[in-house]
Amino acid sequence: MSAEALATSATQTNAWEPKIIAFCCNWCSYGGADSAGMGRFQQPASARIIRVMCSGRIDPLHVFNAFLEGADAVLVTGCHIGDCHYVNGNDKTKIKYKYLENVVHELGIEKERLQLNWISASEGEKFANFIRDVTAQIKKLGPSPLKPEGVA
Amino acid sequence: MQKGEMYVGWSTKEEVRKRGGSGGLVTSMLAAALEKKLVDAVVVLKKINEFEAVPIITSDVNEVLNSAGSLHSVPSHFAKLIANRNLKVALPAKGCDVRGIIEQGKRNAINLDNTFIVGLNCGGSMHPVVTREMLEVMYKIKPEDVHGEEIEKGKLIFETKDGKEHAITIDELEEKGFGRRESCRYCTIKVPNNSDIACGNWGVTGDLVGKATFVEINSEKGAKLLQNAIDAGYVQVQKPDDKGIAMRGKIKGVMEELGKKWKGKIFVPIETGRLEYFRKELEHCIDCGACKTVCPTCSCGDISKCTQYHSRGDAYKMSMYHLVRFLHLADACIGCGQCSDVCPVDIPLTRLYRRFANPVQEQLKYEPGMDMQKPPYFEVKLNE
Ligand SMILES: Cc1cc2nc3c(=O)[nH]c(=O)nc-3n(C[C@H](O)[C@H](O)[C@H](O)COP(=O)(O)OP(=O)(O)OC[C@H]3O[C@@H](n4cnc5c(N)ncnc54)[C@H](O)[C@@H]3O)c2cc1C
Ligand code: SF4
Ligand code: SF4
Ligand code: SF4
Ligand code: FES
Repeated sequence: MSAEALATSATQTNAWEPKIIAFCCNWCSYGGADSAGMGRFQQPASARIIRVMCSGRIDPLHVFNAFLEGADAVLVTGCHIGDCHYVNGNDKTKIKYKYLENVVHELGIEKERLQLNWISASEGEKFANFIRDVTAQIKKLGPSPLKPEGVA
Repeated sequence: MQKGEMYVGWSTKEEVRKRGGSGGLVTSMLAAALEKKLVDAVVVLKKINEFEAVPIITSDVNEVLNSAGSLHSVPSHFAKLIANRNLKVALPAKGCDVRGIIEQGKRNAINLDNTFIVGLNCGGSMHPVVTREMLEVMYKIKPEDVHGEEIEKGKLIFETKDGKEHAITIDELEEKGFGRRESCRYCTIKVPNNSDIACGNWGVTGDLVGKATFVEINSEKGAKLLQNAIDAGYVQVQKPDDKGIAMRGKIKGVMEELGKKWKGKIFVPIETGRLEYFRKELEHCIDCGACKTVCPTCSCGDISKCTQYHSRGDAYKMSMYHLVRFLHLADACIGCGQCSDVCPVDIPLTRLYRRFANPVQEQLKYEPGMDMQKPPYFEVKLNE
């Protein structure tokens, strides 16, 4: 490959933006995403946010669906343990996540592609940093092996 | 009689004693429960031939008495048969049957208070199609000529109609890909202490070998069953000797160790290419749904989360149907092998499902079907 072609392919790799699906709880991490924007914390445009009323609503099925439709990473986020607005929705999230994590791992999907984080509405910077870190990790890994043919 | 006690017993009916796997105690106990109205119905296998039998729910004492004998090539499963029927029932049950019944009990599909589970020690069962092939390839006999079958000292012995016996060690058969179903090889429940009463031939000594059954009472219901059969004059028991008790414990231990060894051999970690492995194995799935229908721990109806995705439209890089089930069975799978047995395109499903269940059940220290512990999925908090 000529030096020029190498350079273009390098920029192309760098230019590739992963698609990250972030499930956010209405009462915390969704607010966190909002705060991130308002606080003007720099973050890549890789995240697609799906708002749910509580992290406990996130069915493992939603996560599988996101992967199968082409997500390069899926983030499960919710209120800090003890702060769930529906008493213990996030405790249930924790249990479901344990199963999910195992299934995704056994399936041979890199662990960076599925992550759990508790982020409150005031933690805008934490949200922005999280998206930035995950984006960098996924850029290194490249597109998800579960992505359907023809989906960018 | 109470929990923890052990006996050696046999049927008082000559015909049943002769035909029974080891003395006909199980059959007689079931028949007595029916006759004395301890239960309204009994589940037994109705034999068609050496390789085929259908499970039936019957209230006919004679039909129960006629069922005496062990069929090693009939890997049936009884949990779903009695689920959602609200029966007062007694039934024989291999370890995996017991586990399925308990899991259905947890899901309120079976009332365990009304279910008398007669556990059978189980070294393993065979797939009927594989058995027929094995007879031709390994034993060089026609399946139609088989008259009877038994397992003795690690050998699988077939008796042909001409009275001749043909024996090959199970190890040799399994080396060649025959013998017990794969799930039975790594099954670790050899004496079903999760049943009401555990019955088997291990531990029977001296003149009684082959003519009596060793029983261990595991619950009040188990004690009631046996006492009822004695009172009704159907069975006789005596105390086992120390040698028998020790022998039974030893064989149990050896079999469990062997199971663990098989588990290690079959579930060698796949370091790379796992996704490709699963994709390849599942690529011929024809979406028939049989694996869900037979699964004894699933209590979902015909329309459930996995079946929503079960169509030719499930053309993603991984089957959504199986992904949902891999997750749902991670804590529930009892490794009974039913899914592999029924798959029309021979996908080794149990092997695939256990790949997900093994780590989850180990991490959560949860063994489904062994006791009444609630599935971790239904706990509000994880006890880590
Ligand atoms: C597949 C299998 C493997 C076994 N392996 C061992 C072993 O390794 N060690 C040991 O000590 N004992 C084993 N047993 C138990 C043993 O063969 C006898 O069943 C037991 O000792 C009771 O003898 P019995 O004469 O009292 O039973 P019987 O009076 O002969 O009654 C047997 C009852 O079991 C039912 N039955 C027969 N075949 C099956 C089947 N495939 N699935 C479910 N129910 C069935 C019959 O309908 C009948 O009701 C096994 C049994 C089976 C079915
Ligand atoms: S899975 Fe276990 S209990 Fe069931 S038939 Fe096989 S060895 Fe017996
Ligand atoms: S997934 Fe297969 S092996 Fe596991 S419990 Fe269901 S039918 Fe049995
Ligand atoms: S039994 Fe086999 S073919 Fe049928 S749905 Fe299950 S895996 Fe697919
Ligand atoms: S309300 Fe935020 S996790 Fe339940």
